[in-house]
Amino acid sequence: MFSNTLDSSAIASWMPGEAIPSLLVIAFLGAAFSFLVLPRLGKSAGPVAALLPAGLFAAFMTYVPVMAYGEGVPTILQTVQWVPSLGINFDVRLDGFSLLFALMITGIGSLVVLYAGSYFAEKPADDRGRFLSYILMFMAAMLGTVLSDNVIVMFVFWEMTSLLSFLLIGFNSTSIEARKAALQSLVITAGGGLALFGGLLIMGMEAGTFSLLEITSNPGLVTDSTWFGVIAALILIGAFTKSAQFPFHFWLPNAMQAPTPASAYLHSATMVKLGIFLLARFDPILSASPTVIMIMVAVGLTTMLVAALMALRADGLKAILAYSTVASLGLLVTLIGLQGPGSSIGIAGFILAHSLYKAALFFCAGIVIHATGATRVRDLGALFGLLPLTAIAAILASLSMAGLPPFVGFIAKEYVFEAKLDSSFAAIVTFVAVLVNSVLVAIAGIFALRPFFGKATASTQKPKHGETIGMTTGPVVLAALGVFFGLFADIPQYFIVGPAAVALQGAPFYVSFELWHGITPMLGLSALVVLIGGLLVWKWTPIHEAMLRLSFIDRFSFEKGYDAIFGGLLSLAQSTTRTIQNGQMRTYVAVTIAVVTGALAYAVLAGETFAGAAGLTLPPLAADEIRPYLLIVCTLIALGGLVAAISRSMVVSLVGVGLSGYGIALVFLKNGAPDLALTQFLVETLLVVIVSAVLVKMPAIADGLRSYSKFDLRTGDALLSTVFAGALFVVLLSIAAKPFNPTVTEYYAVTSLSEAFGRNVVNVILVDFRALDTLGEIAVVAFAAIAAWAVLTGGNPTSKTAKAGVATNRAVPSLIFETTARMFFFLMLIVSVWVLFRGHNEPGGGFIGGLIASAGFAVLALALGVDFARRRLLLHPVAWMGIGLTLAILSGVPGAIINESFLTHQWVSLNLGVTSLKLGTTYLFDIGVYLTVIGGVLAFLIRVQQQNSGGEDTTTAADDATKSHISTQGASA
Amino acid sequence: MIYVYAATIAIVAGAGIYMILAQNIVRIILGVALLAASANLLIFLSGRLGSVTPPIIRQDAEVLGSYAANPLPQALVLTAIVIGFALTAYAVALAVKGYKSLGTMDTSQMHDAEDLGSPFAAKSAPKQG
Repeated sequence: MFSNTLDSSAIASWMPGEAIPSLLVIAFLGAAFSFLVLPRLGKSAGPVAALLPAGLFAAFMTYVPVMAYGEGVPTILQTVQWVPSLGINFDVRLDGFSLLFALMITGIGSLVVLYAGSYFAEKPADDRGRFLSYILMFMAAMLGTVLSDNVIVMFVFWEMTSLLSFLLIGFNSTSIEARKAALQSLVITAGGGLALFGGLLIMGMEAGTFSLLEITSNPGLVTDSTWFGVIAALILIGAFTKSAQFPFHFWLPNAMQAPTPASAYLHSATMVKLGIFLLARFDPILSASPTVIMIMVAVGLTTMLVAALMALRADGLKAILAYSTVASLGLLVTLIGLQGPGSSIGIAGFILAHSLYKAALFFCAGIVIHATGATRVRDLGALFGLLPLTAIAAILASLSMAGLPPFVGFIAKEYVFEAKLDSSFAAIVTFVAVLVNSVLVAIAGIFALRPFFGKATASTQKPKHGETIGMTTGPVVLAALGVFFGLFADIPQYFIVGPAAVALQGAPFYVSFELWHGITPMLGLSALVVLIGGLLVWKWTPIHEAMLRLSFIDRFSFEKGYDAIFGGLLSLAQSTTRTIQNGQMRTYVAVTIAVVTGALAYAVLAGETFAGAAGLTLPPLAADEIRPYLLIVCTLIALGGLVAAISRSMVVSLVGVGLSGYGIALVFLKNGAPDLALTQFLVETLLVVIVSAVLVKMPAIADGLRSYSKFDLRTGDALLSTVFAGALFVVLLSIAAKPFNPTVTEYYAVTSLSEAFGRNVVNVILVDFRALDTLGEIAVVAFAAIAAWAVLTGGNPTSKTAKAGVATNRAVPSLIFETTARMFFFLMLIVSVWVLFRGHNEPGGGFIGGLIASAGFAVLALALGVDFARRRLLLHPVAWMGIGLTLAILSGVPGAIINESFLTHQWVSLNLGVTSLKLGTTYLFDIGVYLTVIGGVLAFLIRVQQQNSGGEDTTTAADDATKSHISTQGASA
Repeated sequence: MIYVYAATIAIVAGAGIYMILAQNIVRIILGVALLAASANLLIFLSGRLGSVTPPIIRQDAEVLGSYAANPLPQALVLTAIVIGFALTAYAVALAVKGYKSLGTMDTSQMHDAEDLGSPFAAKSAPKQG
C-alpha cells in the first residue's frame, strides 16, 4: 500500500488519507458482523446498529475541512494492490463529490438504521436483525461504489448494491407483489449493470487503464477511440437503468414494495443517485459528443414529463413520492447534459437538497402508514393531532421540495433554473422544468396537507400508535437541516456543495450558493412554479380523477413491454419444452440424428463447394479392385442389416444383426486381422445368446409398432436413415482418398519387439503401449456389468432358494448335450488359457481368451442351467472382475516404482538351463483383462438368464417349446 | 473394394439408425448393435486395407514389415468391440428391468416421469412468483 496524496498538505493534521480504505473495511466487517449480532439484540438493535454508520459519518466529517472550498481541487488517492497482473487495484479516491455522497450515505444511513429499528419494533428479532444487516451491508457497498477509483472495483460494488436492493425490495418475501417487484428491479438494474460492465471493459482496454481519474483527466484516450459510441451507449444504459430513467423508470415505483426505511434510503436518497454519480464522473468523456449530450437531455426531460404525469395519477403515498423521485432524477440527468459551472452547482446542490427532503418525506410517509395501516392518500386525514412532530417535519420537507425560501431546496432550484436558462436548449428545457416543478410543488402540497389536515377517514379514526422517538428523529433532523442549510447557505457553499461542484468541474471556480441574489429571471420562474403548483393542489382531486380516466396512458407503459418480454420468454421456454422435450424418446432420437445427419450432409456439400482448397476427392472407381469372396460377404452384411431393419419379427431382426456381425468378422479375418475376427465372432455369439434369452420372455412384436403389416416400414425414418447413409458413404470415400499418415503405425512396428518384447503388435499395443487405455476400457466393462447386475436385482431369487432350480434352469434337458457340454466346457477353458498366454506373440490375448471362456460357461449354462454354470465359476462374477482389475492395476506398479511410469511393463529373463523364459508384467495385465472379461460377460449372462427362468411359469419349457414360443410370436407378424 | 466397403458400412449404419428410430426397445438395442458394428468397420477401414497378412512380427525379423496389415486400428477396434458388447448388454439389462416394472417395450408408453407433471403446472400456485 502506498499513499499518493494530491493537493492536500493539510491532511496530516486531520485524519490521514491512509485511513480511507480502512473505513471501507470497517464498513464491510461491521455489516458482516451485524448478521451475527443484531438478531440477538432485541429492541436495542436499531440504536446499536446505528453506531456503525454514525461512526463512519463522524470519520468522514473529519475530511470536510480538508476538502473545503478553496484553492485547487483537493483529492485523496489511495492505492491498495489487488490484482496487479490485470491492472486492477483497489484505488480509493476521495474528493468533494465523493465526500458529498459518503456523507449522505453514512449520515442518512444512521437515521435510516435508527428509524428501521423502531419501524420493525413489533417484528420478530430475526427479521429486524436481518433487515438492519442488509441496510448496513448496502451502506458499505454504496461507500465502495462512490469511493472506488478503479472502474472494475467500482462495478463490483455497483452490482452489490443492485443485489442488496433486490433483497430489500423482496424483504417481505411472502408477498407475491414484493417478489415480482424485486425480480423486476434486479433484472433491470443488473441487466443495465451488465451493459455498464461491457462499456467499462471496452473503455479500460481502449484507454489502457482502469483508473477513473486517469481516464477522465485524459478524455482523449477514450473519445478518440473508434469504440467511443459503443462505450458511451453502454455506460448510458447502465446509468439510466440504475437511476430509473425512461424507459426503464417503472421499476422504481414498483420498488415501493420494500419496507419504507429501505425506500427512503435506497430508492430516494442514495442508490438511485448512483446513475447520476456515474454520469457526472464520466461527464468529461460523455460531453465530448453532442449526440450523447442530446440523449442525456432528451431522456432526462422525457423522464421528468412521464414521471410528473404518472405522479398525478398515482394513489399511494409512497407511489407519489416515488414518481417525484423519478422526476428529480430526470432533472439531474438533464442537468448533467447541460454544460457549464452553473449546472455543476445545480447538480451538487440538488443532490444535497433532494436527499434531505425526500428521505424526510419517506420517513414521514412510513410513520403515517405504520400508524394507520393505510397507504393511499384518499384514506388519510386529520393526523396532525396524533403525529404533530411528523406533520411539522413533513411540512418543512415539503416546503424545501416545493422550492420555497428559505429552504435549501429553494437555493438548489434557483441554480437549476439558472443552469437551464444558460443552456443552449433554454426554451424547451425551461418549459419542461417549470411544468414538472409545478407538479413537484403540488405533490409537496398534497403530502404536507392531506394526511395531516384533511378530512378524517375510517382508517385514521383508529390509529395503531402515535409517534416514537426512533422514528421521528430522522424526519425532524433532516427537515431541520433543510432549513438550516437554507438559512446558513455559507456552510454548504464552502464545505459541501462548493467542493462537490469544483470536483465535478475539475477546476476551481467561484461557487455561489446564496439564498438571495436579487430579482432574477430565476426568481420569476420560481414564482410561476409556485403559482401553478398552488393551483394543482387546490384542484388536485378533480385533476387526479381526470388523469385516472385517461386509461390510454397505460397502453404506453413500458412496464407492459417488460411484462410482455418476460411472459414471452417464459412461454417460449414452455413451448420449446413441450415440442422438443415432449416425453417421446423417439422425438429426441430423431432430432439428434437429424442434426448429426445435417452436419454430415453439410460437410459433404461444403466439401464439394470449396473443392479448390482441400476439397472432396473420391478414390478412382475404375482402379477399385474387387475381391469376389469379400463382395459376397459384404452383400450378406448389408442384407443382414436391411433385413434386421425392416422385419417386424424380433427373431428375424436378431438373426439379421447376427448375420451382419459374423460377416464383419469375416471381413476382419480376410484383411489380416485374426484377433478382431475372433473377438467379433465371440461377441456376436454372446450377444445373440443374451438377446434371445431376453426375447423369450418378451412380446417379440407388436409392442411399439404402429401397424400390423409384415414389415416395419416408416417412410420418414427411412428417408432420414437413407440421407444419413448417403452422407456417410461419401464421407467414407473421401476419407479413403486422403493420403494415409503411417507415423504411429511405424513407431509400433519398429518398437513392438525391441521394447515390449512381443511379436503380436495388436496385443502389444493393447497391453503395453496403450495399457492405460485398456485398463480404462476393462473398467468400463466391469462397471457396466456391475450396473446391470444391480439393475436386474430383485428379479427373482432363483439361484439360492429353489433346489429345483437346477432342473428348472436347464434350457435343454438332454443327456447328450449335457455330457458333451461338460467336455466342451473344459476344452474351451483350456483353449482360452492357451490363447491368453500365446497372445503376446501370436493371435490371441486376454480379451479373446476371456470371451472364449465365457462362451464355454454359456454352453454349460445352456446345457445344465445357470446355477450349475455359476457354481463352476467358483466365485461371484463381480468378484472375478475385481480380481481382474486388481491384477491389471498391480501389473503397472513395478513400472511405476522402477521407471516412475505407471503401466510401463517390466521383464525378467528366467534361465531354465535348456531354454530361457522371458516373463513380463504384461502377462499379469493380460490375465487381469481375461478375468475382467469373464466376470463381466458372465455377470450379464447369469443375471439376464436368471430373470428369465424366474418369472416364467412354465418352468419345464423344453427346447422345442422355447423355440416355438419365439417362432409363434415371430409368425404372428 | 473401397466402394463396396463404404457402401456396406453406410447401409449397415443406415439400417442401425432406422432401427434406433423405432419405438420398441429391443429394436432400438439391436439398432445400436448394428451402428456399433458399422462404426468398428469404419475405424478398421480408416486404417487402410490392402494387406491380408496379420500384423505379427516374423520369427526371423525384428520389426514388422510393411507387408503386414496396420495393427493400430485393430487394437482400437478390438477394445471397441468389447465395450460395444458391454454397452449393448447393459441396455438389454435396462430393457428387461423396464419391461418388468412398466410392462411394455414401447418407448411411447414409458411416461412415468411425464406423469409426475409439468414443471410449468406449478406456476399458478401461489408459492411461485
